[in-house]
Amino acid sequence: MTAASAPGTAGASALAARRHSSWLCIKAIARRHWYVLRRSPHRLFDVTIWPLVDVLLFGSIATFFASSAGGPAGQRGFGYLLAGIVLWHVVYQSQISLSTGFLEEAWTRNLLNLMVTPMREWEYVAGVVLLGMAKLVMGVGLVALVAVIAFAFDITTLGVSLVPIAAVLLLTGWVIALFVIGLVLRFGAGAEALAWGILFVALPLSGVFYPVEALPAVFRPIAVALPTTHAFAAGRSVLDGSGLDWSSLALAGVTSVALTAAGVGWVVAMLRMFRRRGYVTRYS
Amino acid sequence: MSQVPDPVLAAHGLRKRFKGVQAVDGIDLVMRPGERVGLLGPNGAGKTTTLLMLLGVITPDAGTVTVVGHHLPEGRSRAMADVGFAAGYLPLTERLRVREFLRMYGQIYGIADPDALIEAGLERFRILGLADRLGTELSSGQRTLVGIVKATLHRPRLLVLDEPTNALDPDVAGRVRSGLLELCRDEGIALLVTSHNMVEVERVCERVVFVSKGRVVADGRPGDVASQFDRADLEGVFLHLAEEHR
Repeated sequence: MTAASAPGTAGASALAARRHSSWLCIKAIARRHWYVLRRSPHRLFDVTIWPLVDVLLFGSIATFFASSAGGPAGQRGFGYLLAGIVLWHVVYQSQISLSTGFLEEAWTRNLLNLMVTPMREWEYVAGVVLLGMAKLVMGVGLVALVAVIAFAFDITTLGVSLVPIAAVLLLTGWVIALFVIGLVLRFGAGAEALAWGILFVALPLSGVFYPVEALPAVFRPIAVALPTTHAFAAGRSVLDGSGLDWSSLALAGVTSVALTAAGVGWVVAMLRMFRRRGYVTRYS
Repeated sequence: MSQVPDPVLAAHGLRKRFKGVQAVDGIDLVMRPGERVGLLGPNGAGKTTTLLMLLGVITPDAGTVTVVGHHLPEGRSRAMADVGFAAGYLPLTERLRVREFLRMYGQIYGIADPDALIEAGLERFRILGLADRLGTELSSGQRTLVGIVKATLHRPRLLVLDEPTNALDPDVAGRVRSGLLELCRDEGIALLVTSHNMVEVERVCERVVFVSKGRVVADGRPGDVASQFDRADLEGVFLHLAEEHR
């Protein structure tokens, strides 16, 4: 070995201390996605432009609705729409950051590189989620801020009730992302349209802006099965001045657990199929 | 009495079928520490499928794989901690500078501070000047070299390279060859390599395993295998098998 290529004392001790560390894996993946975000300005759209567009659109509709309807009904609708869009961005940001984080590996044919490392699947997901949390703070923070500045609506008036509601929405976003990842594993990057499209299906069914009773009867059973429906209902009860609706929150918790189990089961089954059918060759 | 060291890789009875085609049909492969083995065969012979099963990326229909003492698939994570993999056809992770890319993989392999190893690895293949370049700014040969540095950063016990000298000019291919030989000699790393460049294989590998139609048809020292097929060299064996494979 040449003197220059020898690892030296520092290298030798780094090697001697080498041992698998989940935290190192998580940090490495989070940093990798931070570089992607920093060096691809168009990826900032999800945390800047779309939140801005949404809050302007729904805030303006809410303002128009409030001034047209007037009175308590108008004010109620105003609050429902703005709280709905701010809280919806918790689902949107958590879902999009995890889905597109995984899709980034598919787009750049990086899956095989990652699959032959000691990193476990959950460590990878945790790394993407870690950076996703930062993106979520940016995206939701922007929506909430613009809602205050442009429409005088402050989501923090929901108080501590925000914490469990946001937690359910955050978890739901991640679980929806697991369904998308499973579909990409099964059908290839062609399924990427679902990363965004699936949210347009979940949005009307989740009663984001209205109680579930407003939906056509045929869709209500689906809506009731979604944790988001109950989380938004709990949020509206706080807005209405009735305090946190614990029964809605409990239903949100139960359906979250069921959906999470289904999402994890789905992605594990798709990963097994991915390995069994050798789909990794699609990305190499 | 001298003890035979435990194998770094032991695969027995590997089989894999895709959509009615038997891609791999009962492959056995055992490698000892420090051994340099070429896995050869014409396109479609089952080399890459075999490699991917050895790495735990594809689940075999039948057979067992043990890597550095860990059975796959349950011991995959522990096994891969001692394996390095690079392929000539894989791109580098996009939007990362070379140093960032290597740091990321170093940490995934459990090295908290890999900077000194990154410097040494880049120096070994004489590409230290690329450290601050983005992966997208590199030529295919440079990307291959960085990929090999990534695969060897953690001093694996088994290094698996799929078509490493694909699209490399003779100078870069020579650097890859000498760097690999140096690593295997100094660190006792076992090397499993696939390549269509038979001259390259003869220079690097002390043992070759020829695969055809998903089966091992020859396994031995390059000269012995050539004699077995009554050919002058491995290129002759390859062409003979490719003819049969059609």
